[in-house]
Amino acid sequence: MKIDRRFLLRGTCQGALAVMGIPFLDCFLDSKGEALAATGKPLPTRFNTFFFGLGLTSQLWIPKTAGKEWEMTSQLKPLEPYRAKLNVFSGLRVPLDDNPNYQHWSGAAAAATGISPTKDKEFDSKTIDQQIADVISHGARFKSVSASSAGDPKQSYSSLGGANTLPAEPSPLSLYTRLFGPGFQDPTKEDWKPDPQVLIQQSVLSVVADNRKRVMQNLGPADRARMDQYFTSVREAELQLAAELQRPEIQAKVTIPSAPAEMVCNNSLPNLRNVTPLMARLGALALATDQTRVFNLSISEPTSQIFVPGDSLGYHQTTHEEPTDPGLGYQPRVAQYNVDMMQLFAMLLKELDAVSEGDGTVLDHSLVFAFTDQSFAKIHAVDGLPIFVAGGASGRMKAGYHVAGDGSTVSRVGLTIQKALGVSLDAWGKGSMEVKQPYTDLLA
Amino acid sequence: MGRIRSLAISLSSLTVLASGATAADVTSARSGANSEVVSMRRLTHAEYRNSIADIFGTEIEVRGFFEPTIRIGGLQAASTSVLSVTPVGFESFTKLADSIAIQVTGEKYRAKLPCVPKSAKEPNDACTAQVLSHYGRMLYRRPLIEDEIKSAVDLSHGLAESQNDFYAGLRYGLASLLQAPNFVFRMETAVPAGNKQWALDSYSRATRLSYLMWDSTPDAELLQAAEKGDLNTPAGLDKQVDRLMASPRLDLGIRAFFTDMLELDNFDTVSKDSNLYPKWSSGTAASAKEETLRTAIDLALHTNGDMRDLMTTRKTFINRNLAADYQLPFQFKGEWMPYEFAADSGRSGILTQASMLAMFSHPGRSSPTKRGVAVMDIFLCEPTPAPPANVDFSVVNDTSGPLKTVRERLMAHAANPTCASCHNHSDPIGLTLEGFDTIGQRRTMENGKFIDLSATIKGKHYAGAAGLGQFLHDDPKYTACLARKVYAYSRGVNSEDVPASAVKTAYQAFADSGFRMRSLLKSLVDDKDYFSAPAPSPETTSSAPNVADQ
Repeated sequence: MKIDRRFLLRGTCQGALAVMGIPFLDCFLDSKGEALAATGKPLPTRFNTFFFGLGLTSQLWIPKTAGKEWEMTSQLKPLEPYRAKLNVFSGLRVPLDDNPNYQHWSGAAAAATGISPTKDKEFDSKTIDQQIADVISHGARFKSVSASSAGDPKQSYSSLGGANTLPAEPSPLSLYTRLFGPGFQDPTKEDWKPDPQVLIQQSVLSVVADNRKRVMQNLGPADRARMDQYFTSVREAELQLAAELQRPEIQAKVTIPSAPAEMVCNNSLPNLRNVTPLMARLGALALATDQTRVFNLSISEPTSQIFVPGDSLGYHQTTHEEPTDPGLGYQPRVAQYNVDMMQLFAMLLKELDAVSEGDGTVLDHSLVFAFTDQSFAKIHAVDGLPIFVAGGASGRMKAGYHVAGDGSTVSRVGLTIQKALGVSLDAWGKGSMEVKQPYTDLLA
Repeated sequence: MGRIRSLAISLSSLTVLASGATAADVTSARSGANSEVVSMRRLTHAEYRNSIADIFGTEIEVRGFFEPTIRIGGLQAASTSVLSVTPVGFESFTKLADSIAIQVTGEKYRAKLPCVPKSAKEPNDACTAQVLSHYGRMLYRRPLIEDEIKSAVDLSHGLAESQNDFYAGLRYGLASLLQAPNFVFRMETAVPAGNKQWALDSYSRATRLSYLMWDSTPDAELLQAAEKGDLNTPAGLDKQVDRLMASPRLDLGIRAFFTDMLELDNFDTVSKDSNLYPKWSSGTAASAKEETLRTAIDLALHTNGDMRDLMTTRKTFINRNLAADYQLPFQFKGEWMPYEFAADSGRSGILTQASMLAMFSHPGRSSPTKRGVAVMDIFLCEPTPAPPANVDFSVVNDTSGPLKTVRERLMAHAANPTCASCHNHSDPIGLTLEGFDTIGQRRTMENGKFIDLSATIKGKHYAGAAGLGQFLHDDPKYTACLARKVYAYSRGVNSEDVPASAVKTAYQAFADSGFRMRSLLKSLVDDKDYFSAPAPSPETTSSAPNVADQ
């Protein structure tokens, strides 16, 4: 009978078994007894997604001219303050090849994976945020964090592929608790020290992980893949603990607020206007304190159930049922909902841009990918999806442009983002959406 | 390191003492080539809660987040065989495990543990092993094998020693079991049963029965029956099935089934427009859900009624919230009271309860389409295909135009041949329910016009909810669908993939009994194939995503 190797390795510190009584904090102090100092590494680059359902009204959002000198349009007006940090993509193609147009799904999935989905409500691969997190999140406490302003954990467009959606935090309080509740050691405080509990939890996880060999026996292939995902999740929890032992290197001067109150989170627009900025602010703080480098915020599901109180139809039904105004040439109530969504998007940009760090703001050191499910919701059209990319990726992405339709597929945006964030890949997307050429003009 | 070695030696003699004689059999069955895990189901939120309450007592608080599930073939139960545990989900399981372990090893609870260490300040491997194998057997729904106990005891030993606290060590050993895959997944293991047939082993039988009947982990008696092999004999199985079904806890199990089948979990995120319907609140929503469950359980179990009556009965249960919603006087001091709607109320079974009417509506208005699609899907097992792309709906709306009622707007819709094929299917059903608004209140007018509640369904003319209720009551598709869903729920499979032959015997018994739920359950689990499993094949696949290579 022998003691398991992992058990010994996991809970160790400076070669000795920490759980056996080595004075715990010695592991984290330098020879002068001070907490291990920052190494002066550059700030990590971060990635955010913003999902809004039902697209926009093409006559009202697409700028007339391409390039840097585009004139503001009525639907993009809320984004005006961030124009210099924003790229607007119009006319993107979304070829679905031989797959059906899954309404309110195919477009969103194509934007998030570069793949025309073969199943409704499932992604055919990891979503872009997870692909990026695999590369940029090493050392951050959470590999990624998702939040839903409407209060529904299922409203997450961050996925490990298939039906394995990473659930969204459904309220500002739950988001706060995950980020800054138990387990959080405030790196903005002088007296930062790791929680002794972390080493103990590491030994517990080590024992859990040791089930692997035993449990993997006698499983069929499908269950084996599922069990493998379970142990990948265990591994991620181990990495989270390892990250908690290091003081995050941060440059932002921020104060972590106290916990927000319980709030009503649902599809009512006034509530979304209260909840969205709060969630965005918590996300910005999480990025600034390196709790995570990937933050996903959604304000609705693709069939957006958002409604203005008193409107018995709500947003989604209105897109299908409101007649096109013959004089205006578009659906006026839908157009107002569209602008409301851009206001919510602006709230995220505002919070990211409000946190200063190093030579800029969190927004400058991030990219934000905003996407949707339809270009013209009334008829479930996907070609011409409105797509936005905000932020500067620490100088690796140029901004301020309107990139007008040149026949590119939506996946070209995803490829460009990944190139800017240092993901090493030659091509992205599948079938007609496989692309090899990023928008090189946008890459610095 | 020397200390560890001596600990290891002393341990080997201890684990056997606690784990019981059958542990060795389990070891060989589970590690040998002659067994195969044929199903692996992630515990649902309710199953987790009920299991913890049964194992440790209701005083243990379970507060945490559970990963959402999805519906496959109309049931969440089917998705539990497909979904895995994401990092966010595991994080929650870890936190829950630690919180439960803290409570169980806390001072208030200690007296209940099966042993007391000589000293609370140092490790005591014998006592640790005893506690962990006691609870581990209930958590894993089978005895722990030696290795499993050993690694948890090792962990407890090391931590108890470093912290000079027996219970601190025990806490972590227990936490390691509470987040292990063997607890968070219900594993069903099959073994060869002769004639090239495979069947579930006895512990997996106990587990399947227990979660079906009680929505929880097998109790001591059921585990003992599994241990003795009783569940492999018809008489032994019968005895346990009868016991499970005679218990009032059967309510819990069948409630869980109806919650799933009637999609009542969705109700937690239903919001109504408070400007148009200020009466609706989260309290109303919770009450409406409870009303439907009470009605279903009362009919299915308490009065042993005919399940077809679920579509027609006017008997229900209301509380103060619902009395307000239904515009009824509430003159009762208790919380809930039985109530029977008047014959002219237009109500018909659970179809016209606030839960179903509100869930399948828009925030501010009713939706015959949503209601029709839901009835077809939930009660007739006939899912409606997704609408075609590129359809212009604009004629359908505009209440200020000439089309005042939803019916008129939908009729315009159905004149479009692309839409008609599906809408002609589901809309007539939904239109009979138009006498009730988005929060389930009765109405006769919409936008100043009388509402026409008549419909032609499958060539016959029906009027109002009562007409629809009678149509469903008499349609054998409804009872067949119910039987199929119970089967799929119990086995965690897609109801659309269940062959008619699999439920044939059970359905016959169900019909012969006059559609009593108990007969359906009993004949289902008595079926000779209920515990049979396909022979393992390396080609086995499911719709699980390919996560292994990512």
